[in-house]
Amino acid sequence: MRILMVSPYPPKRDGIATYAAQAVAALQAEGHEVEVLSPEPSAAHYHLDFHAGARFGLALARRVAGYDKVVLQWHPAFFYRSSDPRHRIAVDAALTVAFRRARQVEIWVHEFEYEDATGNGPRAQACRALFRSADGLFFHSETERTRFLETVPVDRGKTHLAEHGASFVRRSDAGREEARASLGIPASSTVFLCIGFIQEHKGFDRAVRAFAGLAAHDCRLDVVGSTRLDEPDFVAYLNQLDRLCAETPGAHLHEGFVSDELFDRWIIASDVVVLPYRHIWSSGVLERAALYERPVIATRVGGLAEQAGNRSVTLVDDDAGLAVAMRRAAGVEHVEEPFELGNGDLFASVQAAVRERASRARGSDLPPPPSPGRARKETVPGAVASAVRRLPPYAMPPATSLRPGVSQVKGLIRRLIGWEVAPVVHHLHLLQQAVAASLDVLEERVAALEAAAAGAGTAEGPAGGGAAEADGSVAAGDPSPAPVPAPVPTH
Amino acid sequence: MQPPAVDRTGKLAFVPARFGPDIIGGAEIVLRQLALGLQDRGWDVEVLTTAALDYFSWKNELPVGVAVEDGLTVRRFEAVKSTAGRERQDIGMRMFAGETIPLGEQERWMNDDVRIPGLYSHLLAHGSEYRAIVFGPYLFWPSVACSQVHPTRSVLWTCLHDEPYAYQSIFKPVLGGVAGLFFQTEPEHELAHSIFSELAPHDTVGCGVEVPDGYDPQRFRTKFGIDAPFLLYAGRREGAKGWDELLQMFARSVVARDLPFHLVTMGAGDVRPPAEVADRVHDVGFLSVEDRNDAYAAAAAYVQPSRYEAFSRTIMESWLAESPVIGVGQGGVVRYHIERSRAGVVYDDAFEFEEALVFLAQQPEAARQLGRAGRQYVLDNYQWHDVLTRVETSLMAWTPAVGTPAAAAVGAA
Repeated sequence: MRILMVSPYPPKRDGIATYAAQAVAALQAEGHEVEVLSPEPSAAHYHLDFHAGARFGLALARRVAGYDKVVLQWHPAFFYRSSDPRHRIAVDAALTVAFRRARQVEIWVHEFEYEDATGNGPRAQACRALFRSADGLFFHSETERTRFLETVPVDRGKTHLAEHGASFVRRSDAGREEARASLGIPASSTVFLCIGFIQEHKGFDRAVRAFAGLAAHDCRLDVVGSTRLDEPDFVAYLNQLDRLCAETPGAHLHEGFVSDELFDRWIIASDVVVLPYRHIWSSGVLERAALYERPVIATRVGGLAEQAGNRSVTLVDDDAGLAVAMRRAAGVEHVEEPFELGNGDLFASVQAAVRERASRARGSDLPPPPSPGRARKETVPGAVASAVRRLPPYAMPPATSLRPGVSQVKGLIRRLIGWEVAPVVHHLHLLQQAVAASLDVLEERVAALEAAAAGAGTAEGPAGGGAAEADGSVAAGDPSPAPVPAPVPTH
Repeated sequence: MQPPAVDRTGKLAFVPARFGPDIIGGAEIVLRQLALGLQDRGWDVEVLTTAALDYFSWKNELPVGVAVEDGLTVRRFEAVKSTAGRERQDIGMRMFAGETIPLGEQERWMNDDVRIPGLYSHLLAHGSEYRAIVFGPYLFWPSVACSQVHPTRSVLWTCLHDEPYAYQSIFKPVLGGVAGLFFQTEPEHELAHSIFSELAPHDTVGCGVEVPDGYDPQRFRTKFGIDAPFLLYAGRREGAKGWDELLQMFARSVVARDLPFHLVTMGAGDVRPPAEVADRVHDVGFLSVEDRNDAYAAAAAYVQPSRYEAFSRTIMESWLAESPVIGVGQGGVVRYHIERSRAGVVYDDAFEFEEALVFLAQQPEAARQLGRAGRQYVLDNYQWHDVLTRVETSLMAWTPAVGTPAAAAVGAA
């Protein structure tokens, strides 16, 4: 059978692209001839701009006649470039035309936006017509199928459940110790892992908060992944997560490209995979964890409970449940210790006990208050400026429109004002680079000042008669100031 | 030097972007020699490549499909260049400007050039039939896209240079997540460690160079009508290879110091000589192996202005002809070879280049003496026999034959 797979495709790093490649391999192994159409140049045989709206659908309609079957991996973000109902109606209508021209169409639904199909307006009707025109609809859980059918009433016989990981293959031969060594993880630690695209609905911040205190028990939490899009909201969440990890002992953020092989190696290196999702349909990570027999802690959202099946998955309902499950997985039993107070000043005794117990629970001393130059943990050079560097370069919005003639007008306006706007955009980029560079310089100088202060503190500590603490602060009641470091030569 | 028991079970695939006896390109030549050499040693070898011959146009000039060439099974796939390459150019320039490029843009940069979807599809369906799949160099689309289909079988002939591209995160899995990496020199090895915090298993295996039976420098001079003493440059004539810089330095040196040299160049790319030396720059195009060897022997010296070398095969070819090398110091690899062999002059700027040419003009015999040391350096270090043995040893460790104890050890590690 000649099959056309319509999907993002490697080397694009995207879970559905990887999923599609594995599905293609499985279809090829069954003897089918498979060609792939992707939204941009890739390892696929063809590419079309899926975001071209109705034009994409009509271009697809011209191609489908040459195939016995069209298999489309559905995620709204692949096909809709905005939430404008007119745009979505046009896309749906064009895809419906394409599907009706095809001999057979399968849609594999990875995500669905229910509000698109709710009500009786033209938007909902176009959406329903699109999915009704498919010959087969595939879901990864009964939960999602049922919910979909409640919103889009199609013949239930056309819908199917597919095991999410049916085509999954191992990408790494590494053993646990080898994987840990390659990732710089101590062999003895208990490793919790959050892996995948970093975006708010994945809820990795929940796992970091739930992890607080476990570092004291030789545990660590590794958050691994990158943002799906370099858009401000995604970058803002990444920065927030970065700060949270920096403030949480034992939590490590590894932001960057994760290949399939590296993805699997992280899972092999882990003891427990944590899926703290706020919402999700189904999870490829859960399948890959199962592939390597790693236990999973997951929130009970979307189709995860059903997908979990008989696997080693602990389902939790809220943040408190997540924290309890992680502590249990780490083998940490919470035993309430009695306060041990001295005989002297009660307030001081209580305060000291509170601090000491909190320190143990936290796994570290209280982080010093934010102040310039106080690095709370080791950072790589340039880390301070990373929040600025991550901001994507400003790109002007495309001068396109679905309305006839408007694209031309927009293009004309752009050409007319380009001589004014382009230098501003360029200046913006320069400003970003300058801010990052300045932060680098500041970071270096602060590090040098801290090193000098530490040296001076050591030299003048007891002999100086002051009550300087190890962190350089001055104990209450001591009128003498902390040693002032010598000026550091500028670069 | 051959180890006692080499298990040559299983099929090897070599994946050069272009393949053929007349292809100019360091990595392409090496992968061809490796494929032929290992087949001679009894391996079942297949070549997976494109139907294209030209590095710039990627026009599919040969038939797509399977053929036997030089005794090797060669599967040719269509080279696809369906985009204008503007994003590749723009984003590449931003990389060179030191800008941090988001991964999504790196992907677009990688895909806005030649792609080989048929190769990807073939590996998806049949990759597990190969014991090892050897890609190279790191920068090419097949290495990035296809090495990740079966990473535990993928091996990279790295060809890493200290260039802005190498610092892009898209290459991390290529150098960190495959079965093994072949480096050709210690500087390349050190560079890889300095760029990538995590490297796949690796070995510095060197590179082999064919030793010609003989040279006839006068034949070259007669055939091409070049009587004046000349410097030779072989390779792609493009900015990244240092060609434009070489032209400027050459013009300044020969004019300012009244030197007798001409500049002979072979290979591809526009020549664009400065007006004041236009009559001294000779493009002889693509040469036969015999003419090429004779050109090396006829040259007063070979010049290597490229900072982006992982091995620099051409300086070895020059040394085999006993011609000295005047090579750029930045980049490390050329300096490494010249300082180890003591068979040439390293320059770090235009002034040093100029003085090197003055030396060459004033002391031709001393220069020739340097060149002679180069031949022995190549013969001692870069013979194919030794390189192939090291390659086999690494393949045995990284991609052992299925069913062997070594394979079980890798799987269980």
